Amino acid sequence: MAQIQERGSTHVYKVRKISKEEMEQMVARCVYEHPPFCSAACPLKLDVRAFLDAAAAGNFKKALQLYEKIAPFPLVLAMGCEAPCEKACRLNELGDGVAIRAVEEAVSRFGQISKLGGVFRTKKRKTVALFGSGLFALFLAGEIEKKAYPLTVFCAEPDLESFLHSETGFLDEAAFTAELKRLKGKDIQFEFGCALTKDFLEEKRAAFDVACCSAEVFARLYPEAVCDPALMFCESLKLVTGTSAGVLDASFGAKKAALTVDRLAQNLDPNNMRGNEGAVESRLYTDLSEATKLTRVPMEGAGYTEAEAAAEAGRCIRCHCEECLKSCAYLKHYKKHPGLLSKEIYNNTQIIMGDHPLNKPMNSCSLCGQCTVVCPNGFDMARVCHEARQNMVSTDKMPLAPHEFALLDMLFSNNEAFLSRPQPGFETCKYVFFPGCQATAIAPETVKAAYLDLCTRLEGGVALMLGCCGAICDWAGRYEMQEQTNEFLDRELAKLGDPIVIAGCPSCKKELAGHEGLKLVGIWDLLLELGLPEGGHGLERPAAMHDSCGARGDAETQKAIREIAKRLGCELTDTPYSGDRSPCCGYGGLAAYANREVAAEMTEKCLERSDAPYISYCMACRDRFARQGRESRHILELVYGTDAGDPPDISEKRYNRLSLKNELLRELWLEEPREMKLDYELRYTDEARRMMDERMILTDDVIAVLDGVRADGECIQDEDGLLVARRRVGNATFWVKFSREGDGSYLVHRAWSHRMKVVKREG
Amino acid sequence: MAEKNYYTIDPQGKLQCMKCGVPLVKGKAKFMYLDNGFPVELPVCPVCGFVYVPEALALGKVASVERALEDK
Repeated sequence: MAQIQERGSTHVYKVRKISKEEMEQMVARCVYEHPPFCSAACPLKLDVRAFLDAAAAGNFKKALQLYEKIAPFPLVLAMGCEAPCEKACRLNELGDGVAIRAVEEAVSRFGQISKLGGVFRTKKRKTVALFGSGLFALFLAGEIEKKAYPLTVFCAEPDLESFLHSETGFLDEAAFTAELKRLKGKDIQFEFGCALTKDFLEEKRAAFDVACCSAEVFARLYPEAVCDPALMFCESLKLVTGTSAGVLDASFGAKKAALTVDRLAQNLDPNNMRGNEGAVESRLYTDLSEATKLTRVPMEGAGYTEAEAAAEAGRCIRCHCEECLKSCAYLKHYKKHPGLLSKEIYNNTQIIMGDHPLNKPMNSCSLCGQCTVVCPNGFDMARVCHEARQNMVSTDKMPLAPHEFALLDMLFSNNEAFLSRPQPGFETCKYVFFPGCQATAIAPETVKAAYLDLCTRLEGGVALMLGCCGAICDWAGRYEMQEQTNEFLDRELAKLGDPIVIAGCPSCKKELAGHEGLKLVGIWDLLLELGLPEGGHGLERPAAMHDSCGARGDAETQKAIREIAKRLGCELTDTPYSGDRSPCCGYGGLAAYANREVAAEMTEKCLERSDAPYISYCMACRDRFARQGRESRHILELVYGTDAGDPPDISEKRYNRLSLKNELLRELWLEEPREMKLDYELRYTDEARRMMDERMILTDDVIAVLDGVRADGECIQDEDGLLVARRRVGNATFWVKFSREGDGSYLVHRAWSHRMKVVKREG
Repeated sequence: MAEKNYYTIDPQGKLQCMKCGVPLVKGKAKFMYLDNGFPVELPVCPVCGFVYVPEALALGKVASVERALEDK
């Protein structure tokens, strides 16, 4: 029996790096984290999505808290802002953009003011002086106070009202009163009626650590001096200053100036660590197809009422890109967008010692490529996961356990169950039929019918090759094994005279296309060319066509299958996510071996598209849908009028492959195969059968245990009176609980396995 | 490494080695996987050294330790 070498140790220090730059380029394709267009256009970086979310829910307190993060005086900003966010709103393309500014105004008016005043906060030790008044000075005072620096404002105005009134003439009385109350609540010292002369400023600033002034004061006192607009700082005078070109400009200027104050107070270079200030460009993709409320909520009065503002906020479609998460069960399961998941998987491959927590997610992707089609930027999660698997294999960090069963199954297909023969009467052939390992395991009768049909109707001889194309080891990232498989298949094909390969499965076709110089055709193309054989018929009910992920990007194959279905009289219903956008059934990428839960969710995702019976053209899809109880047929079953019936269990799949090989050897090539026959009778309880299928224990494993106990007698009797024996097969120890029946047969009650070796310890 | 008490299964004479015809006793054994070893106590035949790994232990603790080691 074939075996695969388990990796030797968890203490391996090798590491092979995949290019970080390439990974960064790939990650940059995912726009999930890009801001919505409104937030991107706002230099103050208001989280408009969250703000409108709160307002739409009527939670004005939370909305105001979000707004106060960018605006120390919310009503001043809301009533005077030029609102570039509104111009950027994507709803403008379909109707009215959201009236964000009007909602901000309503939230600022009706929202409950946060009670966290500045008086009781711990103040910083460095002090700040601010000279002048106006919008910039007002906003800067608010920003500095928020950063908890003791602040003294020197202004020419005689009182607080006049200070606030400077440049805020657009506020109505109620707004002015509210903002005055807010200003009074802030922990700011004022000196009113100051003569803001150069001498006064120079004298007063000496007592403070950082000095700031309004644009008006700066221009009047230092007409020759230059202010750096990125920092709002005059280096030569060590003076923080700004502009007042408008409310938004003043507010953004004050934000930049406050950061400069913070840097200067800490004796840091104001140029450093400023982050990405101001408006940014966003490449976010937004699906506008579901936007319905396209007209602005009208205002009864001068501004929105609470109810009106909430309704208007509710029109926001919360721009976000989740195209892949909507369609892919794998990404949905891990609740991570591909940019983030890729970064984590990349990091997983870089861990030399310690846990690799992303092994399971990395091995749970079906490598089907659906994300690349549905992503507006073509993000290729399959490539990330596949390369990560190869990388883990190359550094000997890849656990064998998740893929071993599938890999052994492949070795079985290409050893015990492998068959390669020219058509009887031919030395070499023009064609070779390659049905694929799943078709022979699940629908052997259909494979036989197809082969006999091809032999009859094609000229030049049709050879038969029963085996695995190598997709299994490719998916597992075992690239050395894949090279060996490719070489093996190439040698076998050469013996047959390098015929044209007739693929019975789109995944095999895709995998075999990697062989240099190999001529390939899908059986579906030949059937259309030759005409369908007698005896085929479609389904009586309308059916849904499930496109195989192996045929993604292969419009010809998708079209050919539909044409065959039509000729058979099938009525096909439309399903969402068909053609190139089709999801994987859960078999692809060995997802079903590495993570049954995710694979089951993938199958569910396929089946939720329609209640109709499913027609597919990959036998693995047919099998997984049937296992879920859905009427599921492979197109070749319909073509040849065969019915593979209920899905086989893991042992029956192997048995079917071997039986088909032996049957064909006897009937077509008149060879008597060597068949192993048990010289004792072996039966299983239903529970044992179920258990073995779930625990991936083959009848061959059970036979190995019983052969062992028959040879050496090593077994124990447990408290129930049943016998228990064990045998190490490959990298696992199999345990069987059985009884010897009166007729001398063995009845298997339970079976389990573990990979650890267990030995008796001395001393 | 300290012995893991949670591996302990006391056979209490209920398990019988069919080859040697003697009851299994609580004995010293060792699990080994991927270059790691864990001393444990399990039902062992005092004559031939047959070590019994019950189903619940194999599917429970043993499986979870296997998974943890595989991800190292």
